[in-house]
Amino acid sequence: MDPLNLIYDLARGPLVWVAFAVFIVGSAAQLVRMWRLTSPPDETYVPRVKKADGKNKLPLSYRIRLSVAGSSPVTVAVTTLFHLCLVITPLFVLGHNILLDNAWRVSLCSFPERFSDVLTTVVIICAGYFLARRVFSERVRIISSFWDYLFLGLAAGPFITGYLAYHQICDYKLVITVHMLLGEAMLVAIPFTKFVHMLFFFVFRFAVASEYSLGNGKRRW
Amino acid sequence: MKKNTKGVDHRKIKNILDKNKAKIELSMKACAHCSMCAESCFLFQARNKDPRYMPSYKFLKTLGVIYKKKGKVDRVTLEEMKPILWKRCVLCTRCYCPMGIDIPYLIRTARSICRSQDVYYRYDEDA
Ligand code: SF4
Ligand code: SF4
Repeated sequence: MDPLNLIYDLARGPLVWVAFAVFIVGSAAQLVRMWRLTSPPDETYVPRVKKADGKNKLPLSYRIRLSVAGSSPVTVAVTTLFHLCLVITPLFVLGHNILLDNAWRVSLCSFPERFSDVLTTVVIICAGYFLARRVFSERVRIISSFWDYLFLGLAAGPFITGYLAYHQICDYKLVITVHMLLGEAMLVAIPFTKFVHMLFFFVFRFAVASEYSLGNGKRRW
Repeated sequence: MKKNTKGVDHRKIKNILDKNKAKIELSMKACAHCSMCAESCFLFQARNKDPRYMPSYKFLKTLGVIYKKKGKVDRVTLEEMKPILWKRCVLCTRCYCPMGIDIPYLIRTARSICRSQDVYYRYDEDA
């Protein structure tokens, strides 16, 4: 059997389920670990500012201005767009849903292919922005390591290959095989590597109380 | 200024690292090295936005290094960390990371490690 065909079959079959299993179990374990790092609310704590309406936080407009959205609005916009598209696009790509339907007879609704293509392009452009920032901005470069470049590549890889496959640029079979392998590698990497910030963000920005917290969580670090 | 040439008690460092392992490991992993925390430090703002005053720089170049080397650092390295931990940070705890990393805790832990080896800022001598 042609080795490419063999890898293609593996990547399209068992490796997908292995990747999903590792991703789900690993993420659940990490979330439990993060939760256990936090402590229950401190009932004896007296807020520094207690306003008449009982709220301890500044109005939203102030908090936005004082937060990173105020100091780095472009990067915050790019990073929000990047992460949204990164999560949403693979869920609603027609090709993924067809595979899901073939395997389990279930699927999510799908975006029109042209729209998925636009979202894919957005992810690639945002990744280009992050790369440029890492290379040209001294404050980012000074704390960057080889791994930051590698993981940026790994995050963008499935989208770049997805784009190439959709537009039938290069050998389709090769590109789609690399696409699947990179996607699976990314799933497996989320709970155990730098990508863990995607889970970390939700626990510590929503559950833990702080001036800039995004939720009403009252737990403590 | 007198030079501190004593050896390093790696066991003490290892103890501090072990006690804080879960939080340090997760925080180091979750740090996206994005520099978004920079503006939240008043010293960064006051020092002409010198990147060496960024909160992330301060914990990555101190605790990050100690953690990566599993506590096996020499005294010269710890002495080099001293100005980062004391002169470039007053531990005012005002820094904020959009990812939710507890930056002051990481800087404080690095200080504890240095202090456990008798490396700390003596304001009367080192100023
Ligand atoms: S501490 Fe937070 S804001 Fe600062 S570089 Fe790390 S992830 Fe980015
Ligand atoms: S604790 Fe240190 S790093 Fe954080 S804002 Fe204060 S001086 Fe800056």
